[in-house]
Amino acid sequence: MVVGTNLASRFFLFTALLFAAPISFADSEHDSDLIAELISLRSAADSGVIRLDDDGVSRFLTSVSTPRPYSLIIFFDAVDLHSKSEFRLVELRREFEIVSASFIANNNGSDVTKLFFCEIDSTHSAASFHRFAVESLPHICLVDPWMDNLQDESGQMERGDFEGLAESMAEFVERRTKLTVGPIHRPPLLSKTQIAIITALIVISIPILIKKVLKGETLLHDHRVWLSGAVFVYFFSVAGTMHNIIRKVPMFLRDHEDPSNIVFFYGDSEFQLGTEGFAVGFLYTVVGLILAYVTNALVVYLDNWKTGYEIHPYWPSSWH
Amino acid sequence: MAALESPPPGTPSAMRHAFGSVLSALILLLIGVLAFSIRLFSVIKYESVIHEFDPYFNYRVTQFLSKNGIYEFWNWFDDRTWYPLGRVIGGTVYPGLTLTAGTIWWVLNSLNIPLSVETVCVFTAPVFSAFASWATYLLTKEVKGSGAGLAAAALLAMVICSIGIRLIFLLVNIMAMTLIGYWMSCTLFSIGVSFSGIFHKCLLIGFQNVSFLSKWLSLQVPSYISRSVAGSYDNEAVAIFALIFTFYLYIKTLNTGSLFYATLNAIAYFYMVCSWGGYTFIINLIPMHVLLCIVTGRYSPRLYIAYAPLVVLGTLLAALVPVVGFNAVLTSEHFASFLVFIIIHVIALVYYIKGILSPKMFKVAVTLVVSIGLVVCFIVVAVLVALVASSPTKGWSGRSLSLLDPTYASKYIPIIASVSEHQPPTWPSYFMDINVLAFLVPAGIVACFSPLSDASSFVVLYIVMSVYFSGVMVRLMLVLAPAACIMSGIALSQAFDVFTASIKYHLSGSSNSKDDAEDKTSTNNASKDDGSAGKTDKGEESAKERSSRKGKKKEREPADKPSVKSKIVKKKALVLPFEASIVALLLLIMLGAFYVIHCVWAAAEAYSAPSIVLTSQSRDGLHVFDDFRESYAWLSHNTDVDDKVASWWDYGYQTTAMANRTVIVDNNTWNNTHIATVGTAMSSPEKAAWEIFNSLDVKYVLVVFGGLIGYPSDDINKFLWMVRIGGGVFPHIKEADYLRDGQYRIDSEATPTMLNCLMYKLSYYRFVETDGKGFDRVRRTEIGKKNFKLTHFDEVFTSHHWMVRIYKLKPQKNRIRGRAKKLKLKTSSSKSAKKNPWI
Repeated sequence: MVVGTNLASRFFLFTALLFAAPISFADSEHDSDLIAELISLRSAADSGVIRLDDDGVSRFLTSVSTPRPYSLIIFFDAVDLHSKSEFRLVELRREFEIVSASFIANNNGSDVTKLFFCEIDSTHSAASFHRFAVESLPHICLVDPWMDNLQDESGQMERGDFEGLAESMAEFVERRTKLTVGPIHRPPLLSKTQIAIITALIVISIPILIKKVLKGETLLHDHRVWLSGAVFVYFFSVAGTMHNIIRKVPMFLRDHEDPSNIVFFYGDSEFQLGTEGFAVGFLYTVVGLILAYVTNALVVYLDNWKTGYEIHPYWPSSWH
Repeated sequence: MAALESPPPGTPSAMRHAFGSVLSALILLLIGVLAFSIRLFSVIKYESVIHEFDPYFNYRVTQFLSKNGIYEFWNWFDDRTWYPLGRVIGGTVYPGLTLTAGTIWWVLNSLNIPLSVETVCVFTAPVFSAFASWATYLLTKEVKGSGAGLAAAALLAMVICSIGIRLIFLLVNIMAMTLIGYWMSCTLFSIGVSFSGIFHKCLLIGFQNVSFLSKWLSLQVPSYISRSVAGSYDNEAVAIFALIFTFYLYIKTLNTGSLFYATLNAIAYFYMVCSWGGYTFIINLIPMHVLLCIVTGRYSPRLYIAYAPLVVLGTLLAALVPVVGFNAVLTSEHFASFLVFIIIHVIALVYYIKGILSPKMFKVAVTLVVSIGLVVCFIVVAVLVALVASSPTKGWSGRSLSLLDPTYASKYIPIIASVSEHQPPTWPSYFMDINVLAFLVPAGIVACFSPLSDASSFVVLYIVMSVYFSGVMVRLMLVLAPAACIMSGIALSQAFDVFTASIKYHLSGSSNSKDDAEDKTSTNNASKDDGSAGKTDKGEESAKERSSRKGKKKEREPADKPSVKSKIVKKKALVLPFEASIVALLLLIMLGAFYVIHCVWAAAEAYSAPSIVLTSQSRDGLHVFDDFRESYAWLSHNTDVDDKVASWWDYGYQTTAMANRTVIVDNNTWNNTHIATVGTAMSSPEKAAWEIFNSLDVKYVLVVFGGLIGYPSDDINKFLWMVRIGGGVFPHIKEADYLRDGQYRIDSEATPTMLNCLMYKLSYYRFVETDGKGFDRVRRTEIGKKNFKLTHFDEVFTSHHWMVRIYKLKPQKNRIRGRAKKLKLKTSSSKSAKKNPWI
């Protein structure tokens, strides 16, 4: 029985292919036009991310019958939300560009025409947002050749996939499209000329620095630098700044009932707000500094300094 | 404190010296008694029991050690835990604490003092905290020598003594009261004397007041108390003593340049390595200090002697401890010390060449040597980087990484992030744990900079490092505590010195200057200079004492002294107004008094609860909740000796130690997968959980439930961590399934996954029968699902206050013949007898 169904399905497939052949030839011409157009758009764009508007969406996606000869991976952007850091749009877009640029750089053959990186901005293309049923940002979605319904959630990149930034985005793309993105090329932190200048500066300054160190004239030999450093670290720690960094605590809260009312102190000993921590840390530090000022700057010279031991061999000298 | 060698007898100064040494020895003794007794609140209030969780493991190990001897202990493979894996105890435990307590027990027994192992364990921590306070005294003495401020030490310490001692059992009480009486009279005598003008001099004689103060502070600082109350039989109890003592010996070596102390230092370091994983703090802090000294041009042969033997001997000794082994040379935590070891040799070579060459030749040589040294350093760094980069975690353990990058643990290792003592502290934690010391530390830092010596720079480095690390992990507040004490001791002592000197000046000045025709200002300056000169004399005197102790020394001293004297001449010292100094003195005393009150309160209330026995005060009197021991006793009496008990890992140590039953996971969280398995079982529905537990041969499941009496640290409150840790290994457990709109709740709004998971069911089974509504007093809500039956578990025991509930896994059901046959036909080939159920 199983063998029977298999045969039958193969037969159907064969006939379907026979009938479809002429149509697909006509299509393929149109397809190659589209691909050529996408390639030209891509080469014009920064790091190969094509900016799509509503027309572009209908031209490259909705009006092309499936299977399309290419996949599109679309980043939904909103310029007016760039200022809000909690959406991480700027950061994610930069990572997206890195993936795109790496994909183009790593692939030369036919693969490079099978996947295009695009972005759609909400200010100019609200209709497309609606068409893709984008409700929240960040939103990245892969439109594979067979996808008819653009609201289909299967192509959507899950939050976990862009958490790890470019690497996990590339992994997502590879998993879904079976194309290889290859190693990620991050732009180096500093350009080559900058590196050259810095190395030159370091090389020049090394002898000077060594001389200074040997003479004992550097900033490091200034007690005041160390003193203020030590006091600063103390302030930093007792203010609970590390807690604020790890928990990503805001500096202050707004009252739920009355938004004009700003809350600086939080009523729980396990938690603190940024300003609160700094205020108390400042208090901790300043009291001690006042005491130090009173005892050191105002007053008598104190001799409670222990020095004057000399070097001697194994046993303490009093034992001889 | 050793008796000071005094000048020729008969002179008044000799009398003062004798008086000084007797008084210091007495104060030291009292401080030891105080340090011991302030930690006995838990024994008085509860009983002589071991606290918390980890101490139970240490107790069990000590029992084993005392019963079977050291060789058996070294080779001990424990099959009672981490079933079915087991655990090699000898090779995975820091043996310092166990060996210490075992030795104490053995010595006492051979002296025919028959104390039980448990008693020894309970009192090890208080005894060692007395040692720790003496070590702090020594360390501070090395750093900042003598100073003023005995009055403060006396006034403040007296308060705490009388408060603390009232609660101690009779014998100590009588003894200490006698001593205090004597001490009080001494103090009163000295105070009385002070107003006749000798006060200041008296204060300066021989007393190492700075150190007394810091010691007095350290013996009662709450954050240290928290880990060293009687019964808290944990590694930190002896480790803090070892830490301070190692630092003391390092400073001592640095000051004396004696190889003898360097050797002792390595041995103290070895003891520290034996005791606590926190030894990496030492082996990173000391190299940092050495590097700092080199960079700021403070290299001296003494520095070399203090450092090089420590690295060589210390590393060799550390490698002898099985739990450290080759980690002492292979992991990144130790690399800093080797790098600095190389650097110090390069520098030593430079100095040596500088010594044998003429200045001109040296200039030529220096370029050569430095460049060669740099090349060598670069090569070594490159090799290290290559080595380190080849290991997956870059050679750092998770805990260390979370110190360097504080966000590391919260991102990647839930099992580290889940422990409450690994959370970052907020400012109230600082107030709770170091209290007024937090205000005094900056003054201490400033005092250490005027002037900066090798020793004081070390203490500054110590406080800076420890305060930073304590900011990352609240647990490391423990390392911060001694540093904060030393700093505050220095600050307080300096402040007292200044204020008492001002008062003394005004008192003596007013009596003298009236009949003096001399210019007021000149008197001012003269007597001031006099005062300071007197002080310098005193300083010199005390330095001489030290030097006379050390032998010939005066000849070398002038090298330092002229600069000191010239400084005094340069400094036209002002004296604070009389009223201002009185007020400031009173303020400081009040600050100290507040500290005493806070510390006694913290020791009595906050840190003395054993957490195995709980109490609560209500209108109708004191309630004692002894459910844990009740349940462990039930387990040991009613179950078979080879039965396996599953619970969340918090209760593993207690179950093995008190019930003597095999557990699946315990507080030594070495196998994340195993813990995740238990977490997954607790988060799964009943049937799946039963399969997981059955595959692990578990007979009983133990849950801790606080809903009836309002005990907040129960399993329901820890449950999200079980889900997270379980989900980290088995992805079908998703945290979101247990949360309604991101909120963790157990009422009728809870998700079905939550209401059906094993933890919910075992906790709330029959709970509605207690009050008819099922009101949870921890979560302050009615539970979501009230009437349900268990299909795969039987309730076998619920403790008096419902805090511990024990369930037995139901035996596998007999299969119905017909159904079984059908099933067999259908799935004949696919099913294996016992497949791994959670994959």
